[in-house]
Amino acid sequence: MMTLAQLGSDVSWMAIAPELVLALGAALVLLIDVQFKPKTGGSLAWTTGFVLAAAFGFALAQWLRLADIPISERFPFGRMVIVDGTGLLARFVLLVVTGLAVATGWRLFERLGRRRAEALALILLSAAGFQLMAVSVHLVMMFMGLEVGSIALYVLAGITRERADSDEAAMKYFLLGSVASAVFIYGVALTFAGTGSLNILEQNQFLTQNILLAPGVLLVGLALCIIGLTFKVSAAPFHAWAPDVYQGAPAGLVGYMAAAAKVGAFIALWRLVDLGFPTMRASWAPVVAGIAALSMVVGAVLAAVQSDVRRMLAYSGVAHAGFILTGLLSGIDGIRGVWFYLAVYTLQLVGAFGVVAAVTGASTSRSAISDFAGLGRRQPVLAVVFSTLLLGMAGLPLTSGFIAKFGVFQDAWQAGFEWLVIVAVLASVIAFFFYLRVIVTMFMEEPSGDDHASVGVVARWVLALVAIVTVVLGILPAPLLELAGDAVAR
Amino acid sequence: MLTSLIVVPAVAALIVALVPSRRSELHLPLGFGLSVIPLAIAGVLFFEFETGSAAMQFTEHVPWYEPWGIAWSLGVDGISLGMIVLTTILIPISLAASTHIDQRVKEFVVFTLLLEAGLIGTFLATDLFLFFVFFEAVLVPMYFIIGIWGSERRIYAAVKFFLYTAFGSAFMLAAIIALGLIHASQTGAPSFELADLMSLEFSGSQERWLFAAFAIAFAIKVPLFPVHTWLPDAHVEAPTAGSVLLAGVMLKLGTYGLLRFNLGLFPQASVDFIPLMATLAVIGIVYGAIVAIVQPDLKKLVAYSSVSHLGFIVLGTFALTSAGLQGAVIQNINHGLTTGALFLLVGMLYERRHTKKIAEFGGLAKVMPIFAGVFLFTTFASIGLPGLNGFVGEFLVLIGTYPTLQVFAIIAASGVIFAAVYLLWAYERVFTGEPDREENKVLSDLSGREIAVLAPLVVLMVVLGLYPKILLDRTAASTEAVLDRIEAVTDYEVPEPGRLADVFVVAESEEGE
Repeated sequence: MMTLAQLGSDVSWMAIAPELVLALGAALVLLIDVQFKPKTGGSLAWTTGFVLAAAFGFALAQWLRLADIPISERFPFGRMVIVDGTGLLARFVLLVVTGLAVATGWRLFERLGRRRAEALALILLSAAGFQLMAVSVHLVMMFMGLEVGSIALYVLAGITRERADSDEAAMKYFLLGSVASAVFIYGVALTFAGTGSLNILEQNQFLTQNILLAPGVLLVGLALCIIGLTFKVSAAPFHAWAPDVYQGAPAGLVGYMAAAAKVGAFIALWRLVDLGFPTMRASWAPVVAGIAALSMVVGAVLAAVQSDVRRMLAYSGVAHAGFILTGLLSGIDGIRGVWFYLAVYTLQLVGAFGVVAAVTGASTSRSAISDFAGLGRRQPVLAVVFSTLLLGMAGLPLTSGFIAKFGVFQDAWQAGFEWLVIVAVLASVIAFFFYLRVIVTMFMEEPSGDDHASVGVVARWVLALVAIVTVVLGILPAPLLELAGDAVAR
Repeated sequence: MLTSLIVVPAVAALIVALVPSRRSELHLPLGFGLSVIPLAIAGVLFFEFETGSAAMQFTEHVPWYEPWGIAWSLGVDGISLGMIVLTTILIPISLAASTHIDQRVKEFVVFTLLLEAGLIGTFLATDLFLFFVFFEAVLVPMYFIIGIWGSERRIYAAVKFFLYTAFGSAFMLAAIIALGLIHASQTGAPSFELADLMSLEFSGSQERWLFAAFAIAFAIKVPLFPVHTWLPDAHVEAPTAGSVLLAGVMLKLGTYGLLRFNLGLFPQASVDFIPLMATLAVIGIVYGAIVAIVQPDLKKLVAYSSVSHLGFIVLGTFALTSAGLQGAVIQNINHGLTTGALFLLVGMLYERRHTKKIAEFGGLAKVMPIFAGVFLFTTFASIGLPGLNGFVGEFLVLIGTYPTLQVFAIIAASGVIFAAVYLLWAYERVFTGEPDREENKVLSDLSGREIAVLAPLVVLMVVLGLYPKILLDRTAASTEAVLDRIEAVTDYEVPEPGRLADVFVVAESEEGE
């Protein structure tokens, strides 16, 4: 048995190749813009697509030879980064989500004019940040990833700066996000005080080898870390920013903002609590369960009273954060369910905001439910896609959302949180109510006012594809679940 | 074979969906034609079915995702066979009765065919996960059928319908998860296969909780008092085809589930819960009937009569005697036929007069004699006139209930009388006397198409009334097996002469004398 200190401290560019590609890609996008001053976005779109595909390729290459990578090379850069299946799966999700977000929100990028290069570069950078967050096993590294990802998102929230509400959203997001980051880094400092290390694995080692007689400082530190991360995933009671930001930020970007932060922060949270502090499970599990229960109830109840689709999706995102936290409680066995949930939910989320952007305009900030009245007649394809995505988020059987919910509920029940599962299934019923309300509006009410809905050819196909994937994964989830199962094994 | 019963309607829905919307005259005939295929398959199934065997037949099993123990697992036995045939009969009839639908015809046909696939899947599934998938999935097409093609308060009714049922099934989902994990802890691997789960051992309170979770889901679906309030709304607002399928098949998911899963999986808890379930059933019988008497709206009257009739089915189920269970299974079919026919008739009347208020009518028998005749005939079948199908089911339930739940049987018998009151009184007000309103004097009688729609139901009412053996032969072994298991697992003994064997012994000894 090798000790942690003996494990690789060398540099391995391959381990972070996807992030390097994204960062270089961001620079490339800016350079192309400066050098060639393209009038249309075509060249930038192709560049972005190519960068994302290359990053995906690197991640895939690593995945395929993952079994051959010896344990000694699994922790490069002085044990700051981990090479494992979970991290690679998080990258797959993030890269796919980024690609989808750019494709479905392309209307916005067209409208941004010369600022589109900035926006694309920021998206690529933030994706790199959240990916780093998902593969870090060192708390400072994790913080770096968090900040790189978040700061890019703050700017993106205000990218349509001629609109006051966009600025307001960006400002709110920045102020509250900074507080959360500060809380997180303070928590990191306290866990360092408690264990003498910033590395999650070393902290675990320390705690298994030593018994802390007065773990107070460590517990406070862990609590602050959890609060910081649950803020990023918009779990209650740290969710207050989400509805305002989702509503104010340009519609074409909100899906990406919500999805990317969730993937990075959930994987990081899982690494923190289950890799770093499994010994203190008795202390954090009730807290996480409490946050999960509160999120599900608060999210579902508040979503039910919204009259704006984006605020509804924001609050439903709070509930979804609760569902995912439910899965986190079952430790290493839960990661399959959590990852599957993250993958299908973020996909649906980006798709849903793609539809919102198409219906109410990519740069606007109002998306009243009444704007969707009669969409079933005006734009049948969009309406069917949106309904499928909403039913998927609601967790109706035969959609991927049901499989995802079933997975995390099953894991949580097995972990002994039966009461949480009961809360969760009841919250799902409330969720049916508000998702159905939008579907009712689309199909059962007459169109009111003018038809602004417009969607590009690419976006239309991408959205249809997302809806089809939602149904196919609901009927044949085995391949993706097996993939996630493999990740745990590797 | 069984998979084809689910796949064919789904593919039919796809085919109809691919026909362009502007060719709206094609959708209904095409959907009708395609929906005859499942009927033919079900017919083959019915006659190929091996009588006297309690085992699941025509079984199919394909693992879905093995680490979770879920599987595409289908089978049919005496309890589900009749429901499958009934579903495949009512779907073409509902489509043929929907010519009045003039907008979004394509979507209507697609949703009806998808509903068929889901309903058949629910009855065929022998894996609890798969069952739940279908049980929830059927809500969506029915939700749209009510919500798009219903009358004024359709959206309210559709949402109420969806939420009530989803609320109930939430508890069932938790219980299903628990069952799979209990199986994993007792045998090492999770499984949701009904046969596997039957071998589990529960602690007393565990079993009662699980029973309760399933019972809530099914009680809402049936619906039992006091969770029945969604039903009148849904029925009144739904289009005719929606009402027919809702009453004819969807409510039976509840009674079927109680029999299949509650009795099958939790024998001890079923015995413990007899007083509660029987009480709720009897309240439903009497309450439904009394409320039906005072309804001013014909469709609402039929809706409340469903609450009453379904109470009989639940009572028969929890009587835990041979006759009671047989009666419950048979009554599932009978109620589908008679109430289906009543909703069709009310729908036809509504198409002509655009009202369902009883007070608006009077003397229609003079204007539409054939219509009145069919209505009266169906009324008799529903009341339970000997010789027609309703009699067989309700009589079996009552004689099955008497040995074990004497008082309940006596009270429930009053429901038969009330049924005569509300249906015949309604008939009197609508059809007898002189037509006093001008609008009513010009109503046309049944068209050839309408007669063709109703004819199969009327024929089946007579056939099942005179020769119920065709059905009883197929159900007996399965219902006996349910009782055998309850007697084997629990201390409960069916009192004489509750079992089929008792009855036959008595009959033989009488012959001997």
